[in-house]
Amino acid sequence: MWFRAKQPNADTSSDSSASPTDAIDAARTGGKLPNTGLPTDGFRQNGISSRPADSVPTAPNQSIQPQPNVVPSSLPTHATPRPDLTCDIDESLSWSTHPADDIQHETDCESRDTFHNGGFEVVTRTLAWSPLQTTRVPIKLPALRVKTNGFLFPEAASWIPKTQAPANASVAGRIGGDESESKSPAKRPQRKIGKHARIKPPNDIVKLQDRLYYLLQPPLDLLVGSGQLNFPFEPFPYQLDGIAFLFPRYACVLADEMGLGKTMQAISTMRMLLCSGELRNILLVCPKPLVSNWLREFSVWAPEIPVMAIEGNAAKREFQWRATNAPVKIANYELLMRDKEIVLESGLHFDLVALDEAQRIKNSNNTTSEIVRAIPRTRSWALTGTPVENSPDDLVGIFDFLSPGYLTAGMPLPQMAKAAGDYILRRTKDMVLDDMPPKLFRDADIDLTPEQWARYEAAESDGIIHLEELEESLTIQHVFELVLRLKQICNFDPVTGASAKLQRLEADMEEVAASGQKAILFSQWTKTIDKMRPAIEKFGVLEYHGKIPHKKRETVIDQFKNDPEKRIILMSYGAGSVGLNLQFCRYVFLFDRWWNPAIEDQAINRAHRIGAAGSVTVTRMMAAGTIEQRIASVLDQKREMFDTLFAAQNEPSSTHDRAPKPASNSPLSRTGGLNRDEIFGLFDLRAPGGKKVA
Amino acid sequence: MGSSKDAAAATTIGYFTTVESERTGWTGGLLVLNGAGRPLEFQCTLPIRPSRAHEILFGTTLRQHLISEVIGPTLLQKCRTPISLLCCGQPEAISLQENLPSSAASLPASSAVRSTVVAVVQREDEKRIRELEGHCRVTLGNATLHVAMERIDDAETAIAGLSDIVDTHEPFERITEAIREAQSQMARAA
Repeated sequence: MWFRAKQPNADTSSDSSASPTDAIDAARTGGKLPNTGLPTDGFRQNGISSRPADSVPTAPNQSIQPQPNVVPSSLPTHATPRPDLTCDIDESLSWSTHPADDIQHETDCESRDTFHNGGFEVVTRTLAWSPLQTTRVPIKLPALRVKTNGFLFPEAASWIPKTQAPANASVAGRIGGDESESKSPAKRPQRKIGKHARIKPPNDIVKLQDRLYYLLQPPLDLLVGSGQLNFPFEPFPYQLDGIAFLFPRYACVLADEMGLGKTMQAISTMRMLLCSGELRNILLVCPKPLVSNWLREFSVWAPEIPVMAIEGNAAKREFQWRATNAPVKIANYELLMRDKEIVLESGLHFDLVALDEAQRIKNSNNTTSEIVRAIPRTRSWALTGTPVENSPDDLVGIFDFLSPGYLTAGMPLPQMAKAAGDYILRRTKDMVLDDMPPKLFRDADIDLTPEQWARYEAAESDGIIHLEELEESLTIQHVFELVLRLKQICNFDPVTGASAKLQRLEADMEEVAASGQKAILFSQWTKTIDKMRPAIEKFGVLEYHGKIPHKKRETVIDQFKNDPEKRIILMSYGAGSVGLNLQFCRYVFLFDRWWNPAIEDQAINRAHRIGAAGSVTVTRMMAAGTIEQRIASVLDQKREMFDTLFAAQNEPSSTHDRAPKPASNSPLSRTGGLNRDEIFGLFDLRAPGGKKVA
Repeated sequence: MGSSKDAAAATTIGYFTTVESERTGWTGGLLVLNGAGRPLEFQCTLPIRPSRAHEILFGTTLRQHLISEVIGPTLLQKCRTPISLLCCGQPEAISLQENLPSSAASLPASSAVRSTVVAVVQREDEKRIRELEGHCRVTLGNATLHVAMERIDDAETAIAGLSDIVDTHEPFERITEAIREAQSQMARAA
């Protein structure tokens, strides 16, 4: 590249009108300076264009001052030597410049006149400038060199999970609003525009390529939106955030408040990691009553993933531990202690070990904690609604599983919070209120204990035989009696007192109490309430039902409101479903289901009323594979039918409506529970004089 | 060319943008996605800083020079994945179509198009649609693309294989985030 060199500026005094621009223009136009009216003699050149004007000598005796057209003969008549040319270009990039000496100023073309004036001989001299020459300064401009860095993604990262059909209405562990809400996705809360559920690398991933691998993954909400990532129900935005949190982490605690869907988030993340080839072998450890719940949740949220529950006798369990046909194994804490040798010493290794209800290992010294810490593994996740129950050291116990020694007992609280911050995700209902409907329904499908199941099957088969023998004398009352009998067995085994529902209730109440919340429990029968009381006495129990005298009822309610030690109130549907305001309660348990959903709605609305502080989690307990599920299924169908028929009327009670209409106005109230044929149909019986109802 | 399903599978979309920072200079990023929007390859430059001479020489055309003659072709040259449609975040990249390196100018037979189609993505905040001389508009997902008139057929072929691209603007955010991450790591190392 070549530059035209900048022409030397004329050294003009402050009152000179010959600007540097003029000088350059002169050079371009053949070297003739514009007629400034000034003497050309004594015109100086100064090549330092950047020289400030005020640095030019201005003493009166200096020749640059404007003078009359009288030039003393002693003045030099040649031009000032031309200085070096400069250019605003980095000299290091130039390979040569023309020395100023090369430019010759021709001063021989001059004319001289002499005249006399007042006795003086005046000599005037006209200097002729040679045409100013342009010059070319070669500048070498090196090409901009660009260094690049890049990488290819592994092929497995482009996985596309199988599309699955939506599950039926009644689904275990479903987190969501009313069924009507799930039918109309348009009503679901949408993620704010521009805010995506991005997978962000945790701080303990250091290598740039590894960090970029996660950063450059598409946001989860877009995968869901494009239909590539399918869920039976559209997850809430905060749940996608939870998945994005778990996905890249090798050690973490998901500590969401109960009811926000930790299970769903963990399963969905496992599914994604299995599909992308990052995991092949997962061990999930949970309390024994929750094993069946996890199995069901897997069947809902990751139906394509084979799951195996470790159970049975020692030989069977050993075979299951070594089996490779199921990438996900579910074991309970108690069993882990029995199978310690197989798990720890037979060369097993898990890509991920996830602990549900991880507060069980808050005490680092107990045997369970020692065993889970010793399981050979690559990733460690802890799921708990109450990471800290009594003291910050509870967290130390959990971190001894995640990253031994990272937190230490007695660590100052701010230091511990800072260190653990990147490893823990905890959201409360208040935090995700915008994302959530005012009511969350959890259908807890519970497997009966072996004793209950044996009793139930015997009662049902004997009962049906008896009903069939009644033939024409069969009445709806007979069927009701059998239903009630079976429902009572679903609550408690009448002989041994075993209750799978109670086990589940205890586990959930641990979490409710630890988070400082209160709960209402509803049952049809006061006998059931009597039976469950001893087991949950530790949570501070109050009772409110028909056996409580009216004059004492007000006291009970006051005590429940004001006594922080009283965490749960046991109510019967009849006594507790109307006229009470218990909106400070965030949890409602339906230990058994009422015939009519409208009654259930009224009961739920004790906690969820206008002005409720936050959303309410309703846990509907149902014994899997029993009459309870059959009734629920019939009621769900009717509910769906009414939702369709009365969709327009149901509009105002959408997800975002925080003040639901009274239950009496709900379409559900018009279902009126089960009709005669439906009740007979529960046992595949033919109503006398009627048709057989399948 | 195989079946339309194969063509869809062979369709890739590249996202190219640059980030200018007074502190570090110019950094370019190229993210290649498959038809489902999953990442296949990422390339980025180390920051380059044009000299004063470049600034004087190129004047107002410096941006275009850097984007479409320096950074863009270099990244495309380094990229190992054939790109069917290259979405550019800056209008200065429009002349990249004439500066394609040989690897992008002649794609393998398995690719959906014969050479990379360069498209400029209309910015999200630009409500009024600009007209670029010699270019036509096509739609991909939620964005309007400007494609050279003579490449419009190829562009439509490529877009047909990109039905899962819902948010056309979003991958630029990923590139920007990745560049920021790389620069912060370099700053920590320095």
